[in-house]
Formats: sequence, structure tokens, C-alpha cells
Amino acid sequence: MAGVRFVGVDKRYGSVEAVRGLDLEVTDGELMVIVGPSGSGKTTALRMLAGLESITAGEVLIGDRVVNRVAPRERDVAMVFQDYALYPQMSVFDNLAFGLRRRKVPKGEIAARVQRAAELLDIGSLLERKPGQLSGGQAQRVALGRALVRQPQVFLMDEPLSNLDAKLRTQTRGEIKRLQQDVRTTTVYVTHDQVEAMTMGDRIAVMNDGVLEQVGTPEEVYERPANRFVAGFIGSPAMSFFDAAVTREDGGVRLRGEGVDVHVPERSALPASVIVGVRPEAARLWGTTTGIAGPVPGTVVYVEALGRETFVGVDVAGSRLAVYEEGRSALQPGDTVEFGLVPGALRFFAPDSGAAIS
Amino acid sequence: MTSRRELTLTYVVLGAFSLFALAPVVGIVLTALQDPDGLAAFGSFNGLHPSNFADAWRDGNFGPYLRSSVIVMVVVVAVASVLSVLAGYAFGMMRFRGSQVLFYVVLLGLMIPTEAIVVPLYYDYRDAGLTDTYWALILPQIGTSVAFGTFWMRAFFRTVPRSLVEAARIDGASSWFTLWRVVLPLARPAVLTMMLLLSMWTWNEFLLALVMVTDEGLRTAPLGLSFFQGRNQTDLTLLAAGAVIVATPIVLLYVFLQRHFIRGMLSGAVKG
Amino acid sequence: MRATASERPPGEPRLVGYLYLLPALVAFTAFVLVPLGRAVWLSFYDWDGVTPGTWTGLDNYAELFSEEALRGAFAHALVLLFFYALLPVGIGLLLAGLVARARVRGLAFFRTVLFLPQVIALVVVAVMWRMIYDPGSGALNELLRTFGLGSLTQSWLGDFNLALPAVGVVGTWVWFGLAMVLLMAGVQKIPASLYDAARVDGAGMVREFFAVTLPALRGEIAVALTLTTIAALRNFDLIYITTKGGPGDATSVPAFQVYDRAFQTGEVGSAAAIGIALTAIIFCFSFVINRTAERGYAL
Repeated sequence: MAGVRFVGVDKRYGSVEAVRGLDLEVTDGELMVIVGPSGSGKTTALRMLAGLESITAGEVLIGDRVVNRVAPRERDVAMVFQDYALYPQMSVFDNLAFGLRRRKVPKGEIAARVQRAAELLDIGSLLERKPGQLSGGQAQRVALGRALVRQPQVFLMDEPLSNLDAKLRTQTRGEIKRLQQDVRTTTVYVTHDQVEAMTMGDRIAVMNDGVLEQVGTPEEVYERPANRFVAGFIGSPAMSFFDAAVTREDGGVRLRGEGVDVHVPERSALPASVIVGVRPEAARLWGTTTGIAGPVPGTVVYVEALGRETFVGVDVAGSRLAVYEEGRSALQPGDTVEFGLVPGALRFFAPDSGAAIS
Repeated sequence: MTSRRELTLTYVVLGAFSLFALAPVVGIVLTALQDPDGLAAFGSFNGLHPSNFADAWRDGNFGPYLRSSVIVMVVVVAVASVLSVLAGYAFGMMRFRGSQVLFYVVLLGLMIPTEAIVVPLYYDYRDAGLTDTYWALILPQIGTSVAFGTFWMRAFFRTVPRSLVEAARIDGASSWFTLWRVVLPLARPAVLTMMLLLSMWTWNEFLLALVMVTDEGLRTAPLGLSFFQGRNQTDLTLLAAGAVIVATPIVLLYVFLQRHFIRGMLSGAVKG
Repeated sequence: MRATASERPPGEPRLVGYLYLLPALVAFTAFVLVPLGRAVWLSFYDWDGVTPGTWTGLDNYAELFSEEALRGAFAHALVLLFFYALLPVGIGLLLAGLVARARVRGLAFFRTVLFLPQVIALVVVAVMWRMIYDPGSGALNELLRTFGLGSLTQSWLGDFNLALPAVGVVGTWVWFGLAMVLLMAGVQKIPASLYDAARVDGAGMVREFFAVTLPALRGEIAVALTLTTIAALRNFDLIYITTKGGPGDATSVPAFQVYDRAFQTGEVGSAAAIGIALTAIIFCFSFVINRTAERGYAL
């Protein structure tokens, strides 16, 4: 049981920088989700932790030990691969026992651990089968079991749910989270799916283009994104953005952008031009809520009805904004509409660096 | 949609060429079964006389020849297969300095004809006293077989998902253990096909045997047939029977395992 | 790949890779590369195999161009190239083209039959065809007689002008199956949608072949050509059993010359040179074939 630390870690493939200056700490027992688009370096970071990639610069620590030059087998980590990587010609039992046998764990202990894992993951009936005879969900659980059985210091998971269908994915998400909370093993979990990150992680690390953009709890990352990228990446439907010129006005500021001209109260310390971030729930139809800034006119482009709520895509002079409407909507594409912005929910970012302005 | 006419044309053409391929083979089998005392003509049918095979076997002394061929084939294929699996594993799944260059050398080696090396092989082996031994036939063919086998197994190993090997590595398996217990079970079809192809080429090898072997007892089957032909220019049925004897083992292997032969050859050839 | 120690993931097999390679590499070097080197060495000498040889430098290679027997041998090899390589690949393309459009049932059966000649020892093939070509009782002449074309009967392998093509036809018989199977397999991989698109664009059978089938088969064509070209240039077994280079020199090929000179006429150095030249030619052809195929893709 140990924490994990990345200290100034770089990874270069020739002239390509996959990871740059990564400083990340995962506390003992925590489930840290590293999330980002493809090419963000998240998988590379995980693989460096596993010992499957060399480290160009910096240090990786498991517990207090610097493991840069330590072979994977000596690191006492267990990994769940995206394609499960089950040993195809061995039974499920042998798959689970493989790592333990390699480490000369006594037979009785192996049997006990496999049994426990099988119970936890409900794969007891599959122990004699071969991987080829398993469904995707079953194979995934066996892959989890293989890691569980090892009782390592750290669990590493590389997009384990990506190959499952949507329903199974949602189901298994919860199971993995519960499992981790039971065993309380430090877990580093990589995914490109921000919904997965938000629902599973104790904390989330958002990476983009090799750089760590922000680390924090799901709430922190959602409510207080550190920059434009994180703001636009986290949250579904995604945050909308528009450029605005800022002028001081009585008791607040006036935001003027393409098709937008609103007064927002009580916002000081904003530079002359900003990028305004609007989450769907920060935009409401004019007349439905009080205390919102507006009106902002626009044309409906799409209506995404999800039953309990509806997201209306509105075109405002070329920019697209998503507007939240509770329940069903009467709007149709092509309708003209007016909506307003909830002042407290707006986020502001510097146009040049993308950094958040508090 | 293809017209009925086109489909018929295709079948006709396929059928015609199939006939072309089969006719000589059927012909020689029929010839081998002809009445030995009757008027012999290639491919004509005048009854079944399987006793011709026994006669040819005796007369042509094919017993020892086949045995020689089997010995050489088994040793070459066994040794070359193991060596090729090891080398293919290294080329296909490991990264090390110079692997590209070394592999190109192997690739070029695939194209070196026996004709180019048979001359120095003979004279060097003669000086070493190795001519007229099984080694003279086995060693060079191990060399050429290993070139193909390495190329073949490398192509296979490259299709094994990296994650499988990585999982084994994290689980603590050595590269040796990973090869034999994790990866090789997957390789069975590829290894089988390789062994079939090597068997076929080794069995059918003629020039090397012709050059290296003068001792009658060591002759391989194709060489034996060549001498048999020299003595039986006129006795068609006997000669045909001898030819059938020499070709049959591999043809039988082919008929029963042709899926492996063909699919293997095709996939390997294009992957290269 | 130049990965230094610090660039390699810890625990990844490094030097051990060489260990796995070693046995195969040793075998290959000892039994193929070293002899090749020795052949190069021998090719610089004039040697009869018994008495000490004399250094002749590049004379043996010069003879490849100056000596008529050798020029002839290589010329014959080129002729056989047509029969062994071009013809089979051509036939293969024809059939692949047909099979591409039609859904043929029983393809597995045809494949098995067409591939059969590949499996039979060339010595047996030679014996087979000698019988077929036999002027008296041979099947070919018999066939002609039954169709009333008795005047066309020949001593196929004994005629100065016909012997080489006759041998060529045997080569075609041996190799056309491989080419066909290779190309037919390649054709199966072409998505039907490409043909549909071509058809919608109004392409007929011929246009379809050149626009869709041929480009997609570049890889397979290259492989088929390479394999058959090497076979055409190597070609010892058939010649030895059927004609021994005769009548006269009509079917002499470089491979046979190697054998003849090294073991019959005591011109070992020349034989070695021919072998080396053969290897060089094979390399060249392979290179050209595969380069052309590759560039085709870039187009």
C-alpha cells in the first residue's frame, strides 16, 4: 500500500515530447483518474509508472522508492489493459494464478486468493473456461481479478472499460469504484471519457498534449477549471465559449461579443477582453428564471431532448451555445429565441493563455 | 451482379485450368497402375496393377532412399523450427540494436539460391570428410530453412498483441517463460505451416543430394528416382510407379493439411 | 533502432535478444553466408577441383559476357522467365479478374487442385513430363494423333527449337497454380464496394480490371513475380532430369552450367562465378519488382 509520485517527469520519443514536466501526487489509497484526449500523454504516464516505458527525465516514486530503473515485476504493481490481455490458452483460474505462481506464492495461498477474487467479481463459475469463451464483460472482470489477486501496492488501469458497450460500461464503472473502496489500494486509472473520470475519481488529473492542466476533485475541476481546456473538456454537454470585450458599468461590467450584449453585476478585475465560458445550466431561456443577464438573441439549431431535461443548441452570430431547459422544450430548430446568462455560473478566461480569471 | 454467362465462363476457365493441373498427375498414377507386360503408354488405363509399386520399390531400392529422406527431413525441420521460433521471437517481439540490419540480411538470405553455394559446400565438405554423410545434407538445409523460418515466425510474432507480453512481464514472467507458455500456444498454426513447408522443400531437394552423395545407401528419394530413371528409360510403368512413390508422402501430407499449406503460404508471402 | 540503456524500459529483454538470435544466426552464417563468401573467393580462381588453382581475377565474370555458351545459358534463363513467371502471373491475373466479379462456389476445391503441382518434387515433375513429351508413347503426341493432327507430332525435348519452350511449359504447369492462388486470395480482399462504385461509374469488365483489380493486387503480383522469377533462374532439377541441357546447348541454363562446370568439366571457378552472378541477378530482379510495386502504391 503506497502512494505514487511523478516529479518533473518528461518522456521523449526522439524529438516528440509525449509528456512534459509532469508533477503529480497520488495519495495512498486514492483512486486518481488521469483523463484527457488521445495524445495527451495519459497512457504514456501510466506506462512509465508500470515500467513499460523508460523515463526520459524526472523521477517516478512508488511509496518512497524511486522506481525509474526498477523492472515492472519488482515494482509490485498490477495492470488492467484495455484489451484485457488475458493469456489465451490458459483457463481463467490459471490466468488469475499466473502472476502469483511466477512469484512462488504457495499453492494454498494462491487458491485462497483466487477464490476471494472470484467471489468479489462474481466469476466463480468461469474459472475453468478459456478466455475465448468469455463475453466482453466477463473477460474484463477476469482482467480485474488478475490484478486483484496480486494484492499489489498500486493498481494501474488503462481504459479498462473502453471495449464494453455503453450499458455494461456504466454498470462496471460503479463496480470498479466499489471494489476500490473495499480494498483501498492506490489506483491510477486512465480514460479519455470525462464522464467516467467525474463519476469514479477521488481526484482527477486532466492532461492535454503532454502537460498536466489541472488536478483536483471532480467538483473542483468542474466548478473551478484552471483553464479553458479543462473547462471545455470536463462536463457534458461541453461548456460553450464566446469572446467578449469588457467595459466597466455601474455595479458590474458590460460584456460585448458577437451577438451578445449583456450586463453582468458584480464582476470586478476583468481585463479588457475575455473568453466567457458558459455551461448549459448557466444559460436559461429568457423569462423562465429571474436574475439572469440578457437577453441574448439567437436561432435554434438543435434540440436535444433527454426526457428530464433538454439542451437547446442556439446559434448566436456564428457561435454555438447550449442552453438548459428543464423538462420538455417546445422549441424547434429554426425558431428565434432569447436566453440569459446566470452571472454566478459564468467563467472567464484570458484570451492569450486560456488561464482562468478568478 | 454478375451475369449467368460470366459465372459460367469463370467456372469453365477454372475447370479447364484445374484439368491442366491434374491431368499429368492423374496420368502418371494411371501409368503406374498399368499392366506391366502390356503396351505402356502414358495415362492410358488398362486395369489396376498395384503390384507395380512393390516391384518398383524392390527394383529401385526405394526403402533406404525414403528412409534417408525421412531422416534428413525430420532433423532439418526439427532443428530449423526451434531455431526459427527463437530467432523470430527475438526479431518480432524484442527491440535491440541492429535488429533491422540483421533482419535484412536474413531477408537477402532467403533469395540466395542453392546453386550459388553448392559448389563451395561440396569442396569444403569434401576436404572435411563430410561428403557422403547425412550432415552434408542436413547442415546446409538447416541454414536455408532457418532463413525462411525466421522470416515466417517473425511475421507471426509481430501479430501478437503487445499488451499480452506486457501483462506477462508485469506478472513477472521471464522472456523465456513468456515465449513458451504464453505466446507459443498461439503460434501453433503458424509453426505447423512452417514445418509443413520446410518438410516439403527438404523432401524435394535434389541438387544438394546429387552433389553431396555418391554412396547409394545415403541417397534421398528424389536422387534415387533420378538414378532409377537412368536405368528404366523404357519401362514406363515401373518408372511411373517409382515416381509416384517418391511424390506420395508429401502429396499425402498436402491433401490432408492443404488448408495449412495454402493459407500459410499466402498469408506469409504477402505479409513479407 | 538505436535505444541506449537509459532509453529502454527497465526489465525489457535487451542483450538476451541476441541470445535468442544466436543459434539461428550461427546456422545461417555457417551454412549459407560463409559458403557464399567462399563462392565469391572461388570465383576468382581457375580451378579444376583437384590440382591447385590459379588466380584469374575477374576473368570468370568476363566470360559471362564473352563465352557464347554462357551468354546462351543466361539468354535461355530469360526465355524461361517468360514461361515460369510472366505466363503464370498473367494466367493468375486473368483468373483473379474473373473470380473477382463472380461468386464462385467450391473455390477451396479449385485452390487445392491448382496448387498441387507446387507440392510435387521437381524430379517427379520432370519424369512425368518426359513421359508426356516422349515422341513415341508420350501423351502429347498421342493426343495429337487422336485428333488427327499426327503431322504435328514432334520430338519435343529433342528438337533444337522446341526443347526450351517445352521445358518452359513444364515450368508454367508448376507455377501457374501458385500465382493463381496467390492472386485469387488477394482479390478476395478487395471490398465489393469498389467494384460497385466502378460499375455505377459505367465501367465494363476490362475497365474494372485495370481500375480496381490490378492496382489492388500490386502486393500479390510482386510476391508472385519474385517467387517465380527466382524459380526461373534457379531451375536445375528440371533441366537435369529432362534434357541435361540438350539437345546440344538448347536448354542449357546457368544453374545447369554451375553443376556441369563444377563437377563434370573441372571449371570450378567459373561455376562459382555463375552462381554468384545468378544470386546478383536474383537480387536485382527482386529489388526492381518490389520497388515498382511500392511506387505503384505511392501513385
